Amino acid sequence: MALLDLEDVSIRFGGVQALLDVSLQVREGEIVGLIGPNGAGKTTLFNCITGVLGPDSGRMAYDGRELHGVKTHRRARLGIARTFQNLQLFGRMTVLENVMVPIDAFSQRTPVGDALRLPTARFEEHKATERARALLYFLDLLDVADFQAADLPVGMQRRLELARALASNPRLLLLDEPAAGLDARETAALADVLFRIREQFDVTMLLVDHDMALVMRACDHIYVLDFGRVISAGPPEQVRDDPEVVQAYLGEVA
Amino acid sequence: MIGEARTVRWTAVGVGVALGVVIPAFLSDFLRSLAADAAIAGLIVLSLVVLTGLVGQISFCQYSFAAIGAFTVGSLVAGHHWDFWLALLVGVCFAASVGVLVAIPALRLSGLFLAILTIGVALFFDRFLLAPGTWDSFSGGTSSWRAGRPSFFGIGLKGEYAFYLFVFGALVLACLLVWNLRTGKTGRVLRAVRESEVAASTVGLNLTAWKLTAFGISAALAGLAGGLAAVRVGSVSAGSYGLLQSLLIAAIATVVGVGAIASAAAGGIFLVFIPEIIHHTPLSTQWFPLITGAALIFQLVYAPEGAVVDAETRIMRRFRRSTPEVPGEDSEVTERVLVRSS
Repeated sequence: MALLDLEDVSIRFGGVQALLDVSLQVREGEIVGLIGPNGAGKTTLFNCITGVLGPDSGRMAYDGRELHGVKTHRRARLGIARTFQNLQLFGRMTVLENVMVPIDAFSQRTPVGDALRLPTARFEEHKATERARALLYFLDLLDVADFQAADLPVGMQRRLELARALASNPRLLLLDEPAAGLDARETAALADVLFRIREQFDVTMLLVDHDMALVMRACDHIYVLDFGRVISAGPPEQVRDDPEVVQAYLGEVA
Repeated sequence: MIGEARTVRWTAVGVGVALGVVIPAFLSDFLRSLAADAAIAGLIVLSLVVLTGLVGQISFCQYSFAAIGAFTVGSLVAGHHWDFWLALLVGVCFAASVGVLVAIPALRLSGLFLAILTIGVALFFDRFLLAPGTWDSFSGGTSSWRAGRPSFFGIGLKGEYAFYLFVFGALVLACLLVWNLRTGKTGRVLRAVRESEVAASTVGLNLTAWKLTAFGISAALAGLAGGLAAVRVGSVSAGSYGLLQSLLIAAIATVVGVGAIASAAAGGIFLVFIPEIIHHTPLSTQWFPLITGAALIFQLVYAPEGAVVDAETRIMRRFRRSTPEVPGEDSEVTERVLVRSS
């Protein structure tokens, strides 16, 4: 059974049909790619899956459970995490704090425990710090743990978004253009990072990116979105040779 | 070197508290009562340190929350002969619940619209809840309220110095609790909500619950200030909890900065002692709001984070590693510099 199962998801903003009858399956353990020209609706689809937007029609099931009516923070607790195309880091907080927030979100600590510095609160603080530092080490960010997130170069900020998403222990990770703003060397390294994440964290991924080399290399299965519709789907080689996909991309250029 | 910074911080706190205890011992009873007022105002500034400093929400009705504390303590102690401590507890809880209630319509608002909503709340209190007659039916007329000074574990607080120490102790304790909140999970989570609501909710934070919590804590601190003010003056009048007071304290909190706990003390001193100083000059105390306004403009230009926060940053920077630099990765910049210099 698919971990994420979308059926005929549609959403309209005024006169713009952002998504039309999008059906998509992500099976456990896969890295699924989602590509398409700018404005095709990729980020909108992510917003629907995380509950930031509610689709007008269609069904979304996660792990066999209907997502309709489940609030954004509840979906995070079910194991859905994401990164943002337009980075949404907690800018005026340190790198370490950025990664501690999702861990905090799952802990049972109350403001009363914090204010009185109860032993349980101090223990949880210690545990959260250790786990956050381990994640920073995994993504090679430990050296900058005490820097403000806003002060980092883009490459590190993208990795920090990954670290923060992993901190909530997700089963499904939605990656929105993780390679945007990275140079060729960093992009190549990113594919390796994604493989390592899949191995060590047992995470299923849905990857949106414009970097074809990355998508072709990393993904098991690819969906192509254009004007809010799925125009092609299949393994990387098949999608690459699909005339309709070629036209969607070249048509955009012309 | 971080350890050194911590030593500096706690030494500063120790010196500050010691000065707060010792200096009033040499002052007149009148100045001691003003110092108690300053500590009470400090609690209101502290309530803004939580609400504005952590979660980034604006409120122009903090004195309305204080009024709830004051009127609850006043009417229960004077009108119904309750024990002061129990009345204070009830007042703080009552203020916190009203804070949460006000926060519900405020959930989807921020910035200017939230400011306008809180002004509406303050006006509602001014014109209706605090208007003469509203509380009379409950307490038998505010004019007859005489809330006497409480005692603290058998020690009478009738003397001005004893009472000042009691209020100052409450302020220090509240600052300590807020410091703990700020450095723990609560502070981190609230700052995350301030920085990016969409990211905060996608990592699993319930925005509604946390915003209500922040409003509740903030209103509880303001309510505590009100409850203490009720026994400081010995009577309760609506005039001291109006919209203008809330606006003034919000302006002062901005001048000193909502990003530091020390701002509570500085803000309280500013509100109470600057008018007193003006009183001894040829100027009228009517000039105080104007002076506050001028200070606000200077602060916004020269220390956007607030005077106390700015000073704290400058001092602490000396005890940290010299200017932080992001290591590695910027090979491109290095190359460009090399090319230019060759």
